[in-house]
Amino acid sequence: MLSDPTPVARSDPDTAKTVIDGQTFKRLVEASLTWLRTNHQIVNSLNVFPVPDGDTGTNMLLTMQAAFDEIANSGEHNLGKMVHSVSHGALMGARGNSGVILSQLWRGFARAVDNKAVLDVPTMVQAFAAARDTAYKGVVRPVEGTILTVAKDIATAADSAQASTDNPVTLLDILVTAADRSVQRTPELLPVLKEAGVVDAGGKGLFFILEGMLRYLKGEPLDVAITAVLPLSEMIFENTMEAIEPGQDFEVIVDFRPHEPLELPVFYNDLEQMGTSIQVGEGDGMYRLHIHVPTEKLYSPIDYTRSLGVITKIAIENLIAQMEERQDSCDDSQPIIAPIEPGQIAVIAVSPGPGISRVFASLGVAGIVEGGQTMNPSTQEIIHSFENLPTDKVILLPNNKNIILAAQAAAELTVKTVAVIPSRSVPQGLAAIMRLIPDGNFETVVSEMNEALEDVETGEITIATRSVEIDNVQVREGEIIALHNGKLVLAAASLEEACLELLKESQADHFELITMFYGDNISKAEVFRIADKVRTVYPAQEVEIQEGCQPHYQFIIAIE
Amino acid sequence: MMNIAIVTDSTADIPADLIEKHQIHVVPNLVIIDGQALVDGKDISRDEFYLRLPGMKEPPTTSTASSGEYQQLYQNLLELGADQVISVHVSSQFSGIYNAAHTASQEFPGRVYVQDSQSVSMGLGFQVLAAAESIARHATIGEILALLADIRPRVRLIAMLDTLEYVRRSGRVSWARARLGGLLQIKPFIEVREGGKVISLGEARTRSKGIARLKELILGLGELERLAILHTRAEADARQILSELRNRLPFDPLVINVTTVIGTHVGPNGLGFAAVVK
Repeated sequence: MLSDPTPVARSDPDTAKTVIDGQTFKRLVEASLTWLRTNHQIVNSLNVFPVPDGDTGTNMLLTMQAAFDEIANSGEHNLGKMVHSVSHGALMGARGNSGVILSQLWRGFARAVDNKAVLDVPTMVQAFAAARDTAYKGVVRPVEGTILTVAKDIATAADSAQASTDNPVTLLDILVTAADRSVQRTPELLPVLKEAGVVDAGGKGLFFILEGMLRYLKGEPLDVAITAVLPLSEMIFENTMEAIEPGQDFEVIVDFRPHEPLELPVFYNDLEQMGTSIQVGEGDGMYRLHIHVPTEKLYSPIDYTRSLGVITKIAIENLIAQMEERQDSCDDSQPIIAPIEPGQIAVIAVSPGPGISRVFASLGVAGIVEGGQTMNPSTQEIIHSFENLPTDKVILLPNNKNIILAAQAAAELTVKTVAVIPSRSVPQGLAAIMRLIPDGNFETVVSEMNEALEDVETGEITIATRSVEIDNVQVREGEIIALHNGKLVLAAASLEEACLELLKESQADHFELITMFYGDNISKAEVFRIADKVRTVYPAQEVEIQEGCQPHYQFIIAIE
Repeated sequence: MMNIAIVTDSTADIPADLIEKHQIHVVPNLVIIDGQALVDGKDISRDEFYLRLPGMKEPPTTSTASSGEYQQLYQNLLELGADQVISVHVSSQFSGIYNAAHTASQEFPGRVYVQDSQSVSMGLGFQVLAAAESIARHATIGEILALLADIRPRVRLIAMLDTLEYVRRSGRVSWARARLGGLLQIKPFIEVREGGKVISLGEARTRSKGIARLKELILGLGELERLAILHTRAEADARQILSELRNRLPFDPLVINVTTVIGTHVGPNGLGFAAVVK
């Protein structure tokens, strides 16, 4: 971690210009990583869909972490070699679509600086252009208003500015400004962003990466976020169950109106004495405090905020009890995967929950990669899943739209013949694996699996992570929402209503079979009650209930 | 001219009228339910068997004729005027019948020829019928053996099971054992390949999709010499497939309710086909 914000970059004594060699570049990458870590929750909050989906900030952060890990102990002074290592680390560690595109940017950048000892202005201009080109080529249908546009605008700005400066730091300053402007412009290019009232998350992440480098070169701190207080609408507590540590027995949320403007540094400092996972939101002078505290300090945040202002609402949840309930409700035993015979076709499925993994195992997968909505596996993890199998014929089922690119990257990084079936959901993945003939002709099986993606309709039921209007559906944070084939179709007051309305929306009465995979956040009693209701409404359809154990999604539903 | 007798076992599933027409000697196999040995089709009807199968506490077992019984049969046929015997049987991967018959044939060198069909049901039955037809055309034993070797790789035998449970229980298919704890509604497709190995051909989630896939598979075979629609008490579905295929084929396919001796290993409500491709 960077503790000393003072620039260590050498200056050329003749021109007072900053010289960026391999070692300086290493510091810049570390600065990017640190700054992105400080700000990744902001990037995560820029989620267009109000669903707990692959978090862009986390994915880019983990990709940058892998890039830095590759060079952390490197004493390399040659810039070209250093950037090459960064690129390799990013490629192997790429998670989610944004991570893969970021790794492509690094790849292009690395190619342009090959054999360069230091990073000067002309090289930077070439490198950003090459980064842009490589990233665009890596995406089948490039969409404007995304990280690609920001990369393009950065390259254009570099090209225009090269005549006016020969100092890399000055150029970087110009590029950071250009990136910021480009990010602000993304909603104009991509209507879905405008509708959701956000800027593009991947573009914002790229901005933080460049800004981190600049802040380091300017000697500005990297581990303090500029915006310590989030707008109330951007506070997300959805993932809090993921990382409960000892001493985090209770979750306390307090809404209050302070008598006097809050001294934020003091406020934070006092809260840190009480607990962890601190988030503070503000809107119209009303503050919301979120904190995890041990049992003995349960009332401390309440007593403390009462000393600062008027409390309007308190919510306390026992996290330990919730965790225990959750562990009760789900059989998280590992799937038993039958070994394949040498030369057979091996299928690797990405699975968001142990129950779903067991179903894939029963259908003959050769490997499972854990991951899904909130945790996108890296390219490396995907490669690991098949590289030791006794066959050269591999089929990948990403089962999530945000994992398809990483799967394709994995396919390109191996000598094995790997086909990626672009399954965007678990039901699509299951429909595809039905066509697996382990001893069959590889091309035929791949083509059959691609066709099979159309065999099934996908329904997903989850809780909205933010308030938004999208696709003409008005959603409030905390409401139950339903997605049909990835598209938000309705918000409902209860899970039962959401399930029934979703089935109506997808015209389930025209199909034969409804399979409901229930998540780890719903009790079995509730599952059976809802299933009975569905059976009553759809007497002509088979209704099958399966334990999926997936997080966040109460139900993933296959309609076929 | 040599007088050649032809022998098979009841897993061949050849319809009674064709058995009579070609004078095929069929050695019966037994299905044992609650300790009672029953002759398939005689002591218990196939429909009754499949109706009762899901409710049976103990899975039925099967029993085959001994080597001594085969030897006795060959002896009788030769004494009654046959110069040679050709005896074609269920894949040695599934049953001891071939070995029993082969051992028996050692007593009659140059006179009894035992063949492993590497298939079952009409996958075997069509080989027997082809041999019988060539006997009627006065083929020599050498020509018949060559004919069987020519047909074997052209036999396709594919089935959609209503559940993998019975195959798993039978212990005859190694990969089926691993497929526990999966979806309830699943229609596995299996194929018996040359060599008598059972391989997975994937699954269908619903019966109607499975039936559609079976039709596609049949039409994808190209030109056919022979075809039988097989079922384990699912005659209506078999007839439906037949009616849709009939005008695309130059001949009428057979419809066969599969013998209990096979059915106990695949379960009721299965559908499939045996074909010989050109």
